[in-house]
Amino acid sequence: MKLKITYPPVEKRKLQRKHFLRIIRWPVLFAIVVSPIVNLALGGKAWSLVVVLSIYMAWSLVISPDLVEYNRISQPIKTISFSCSLLALIDIFLSPGWALTVVPIVCFGGLVVSGILFFTDIERQKHNLLPMLLLIVLAIIASIVGLSIMRETTGWQFIAMGATAVTLLVACIITLRSDFIRELKRRFHIK
Amino acid sequence: MKHALKSKPTKSKRPAKSARKKHAPPSPFKVFTDGLPADKAEMLRDFFANFSAHCLIAKKDKKELQTDFERAILHYINAGVSLDDALALLDIRNLGGFYARTPVLWFPLDDAAKIYPLSMEHGYMSIFRLSVYLKQPVVPELLQMALNFTIKRFPSFTTTLKKGFFWHYLDTTKRRFSVEQERGIPCQAMKVALSGSQSFRVLYYNNRISVEFFHVLTDGVGGLMFLKALTAEYLRLMGIETGADDMPWNANAIPIAEEVENAFSKVPKSENASGFMDKLAVQMNGKLTDNKPCRVIHFKMNVSELKAAARAHHASITVYLLGLMFLAGRAATDHLHGEASIQVPVNMRQYYPSKTLRNFSMYCGIRLPIEETTDLQSIIVKIGEQLEKKASKESMSAMLMSTVRLVNIMMSIPLFLKQPVAKMVYGFLGDKIFTNTLSNLGVVEMTPAMAEHIESMDSLTGQPISNRASCSVVTINDTVTFTILKATLDPTFEETMYELFLADDISIEVEGSDFYEA
Repeated sequence: MKLKITYPPVEKRKLQRKHFLRIIRWPVLFAIVVSPIVNLALGGKAWSLVVVLSIYMAWSLVISPDLVEYNRISQPIKTISFSCSLLALIDIFLSPGWALTVVPIVCFGGLVVSGILFFTDIERQKHNLLPMLLLIVLAIIASIVGLSIMRETTGWQFIAMGATAVTLLVACIITLRSDFIRELKRRFHIK
Repeated sequence: MKHALKSKPTKSKRPAKSARKKHAPPSPFKVFTDGLPADKAEMLRDFFANFSAHCLIAKKDKKELQTDFERAILHYINAGVSLDDALALLDIRNLGGFYARTPVLWFPLDDAAKIYPLSMEHGYMSIFRLSVYLKQPVVPELLQMALNFTIKRFPSFTTTLKKGFFWHYLDTTKRRFSVEQERGIPCQAMKVALSGSQSFRVLYYNNRISVEFFHVLTDGVGGLMFLKALTAEYLRLMGIETGADDMPWNANAIPIAEEVENAFSKVPKSENASGFMDKLAVQMNGKLTDNKPCRVIHFKMNVSELKAAARAHHASITVYLLGLMFLAGRAATDHLHGEASIQVPVNMRQYYPSKTLRNFSMYCGIRLPIEETTDLQSIIVKIGEQLEKKASKESMSAMLMSTVRLVNIMMSIPLFLKQPVAKMVYGFLGDKIFTNTLSNLGVVEMTPAMAEHIESMDSLTGQPISNRASCSVVTINDTVTFTILKATLDPTFEETMYELFLADDISIEVEGSDFYEA
């Protein structure tokens, strides 16, 4: 069978992500399985939970990033969400007593950063609203819960986070108007 | 001299970017316009003023679109076409209002498309490809302009894949969509993650125009319509009277709602629903390659010879080809027991007439025990019977109903819960219930004026996962192209197919790619 070549020659490509993922998957899985076993065997604090979440964070943000909606709003918010979860875990399992102050401050910082990223390129970023909206809603809920837990203290960090979230939400609604409703319809359609 | 070219200029000696720009030689288009008489220069200024009025997209895209016009004008001038004629062919009215309006449309994914973004991975996406071979080499400048003019006709293609809370969806994006020279392996994954990313690509190589689509956009029927529109527009820009003005694929026709609808939702509800699950099929042997496909092979045949061979076996062309594929698949496996299964996509528009350009296809699996796959005559009747039964309206409607039901069950589950489950199920099953695929796009109808400039067409079904081969067939004019997409270096399947065709007195021209994996 004689074949006439009608396709261009393909240069030998650099290591592709899919091949890289295939190689790195096994050491990562090994680490995820082994660290809880070692932790259980040695006893002590549940540090393996922090290790597993950190590995997942690195996997999701760096090694195998999002295939849909990888943009300047979604990625910082994903990083902030992971960081807050990680800080909360460290507080609960390793060194307690500071997360209720630190996590709202980190979240506040995240809201400010995402707000800046959103409003400095609004025409394009209005189509990437969902992650920021989810962070805003979470921040508002967390503020309400936080303030009701910390009745004895001022809970200034929750006030700052909640106020920023509400301000950002109002700013989005005022700026986007009908686009805001349209965006919600798209993002929450079920059909 | 070589050494001098390789040496890098030192930083201090390198002029600033603005200075470099200032001293850069004028562009060929600037040189051309500088040499024009006053009335022609005025005409060109008016042309680009009109262009500006029709183009309100982002600055970068607008600049690129303007450059496309400039390159096309220069091409015409170099080809001896007068400026008046060139501007008439590139009439700004062909842009319509597409680039002048902000994006407002969005499209929920159709029921068949919903699985594709859930199952995609780095390096793997469901991508298929359609190509047309012209009788002349492709002019990239005019192909780019053809795309610029055609894209407005297909609003559901000018979209970016987005993530909703429950489902993915397609969000309209207004930008310049680009054509590229073919350089890589066909049907490779696209980058659809960035804001404004496109979910299809237009490629050219010698006399071939190819369009690769991510399956979320469309199926073979919609893809074919796009390729026809693009080809018609390209031929018009080449100065050929295509006669496509009254055709539905005319680039200046107004898109209608029915073309972007989810046709699954229009099918009358029925009680009968059958699942997609089946037994695992026997796979052909041979190590799966890292690069998929590792080779593309086209068998180009004369339609009369193929028809005569099929008729001699009292079968339709599809049944005849399936018979040969079962025999070639039998030769390409070491398994002695089990069932081989060939997936046959079925266009649902034949049962539920629809003008939709979105996905509206289902599939059936033709299964044969490999022990019984001994000679063509003994299997061809069984294949014919199975195809008639399994691709019937009743069977296909039952499968369609189960798709609709599955979507309805899953509709209010958040995406972050659905995605890992879908990925796991798809990753486990993949294409393992089939051995091979045969996608028959049938006879492609073009206007006689267009057909005169077209040599042949082909289609590629996309990267297989576990299957070692995947086949498709398309006919235009009097040429049938049977394509095999390979995922193993073992050549048994294609060699057996070739011998079987020759044994039935079908003369074949074999074309294709080299191995993408040594």
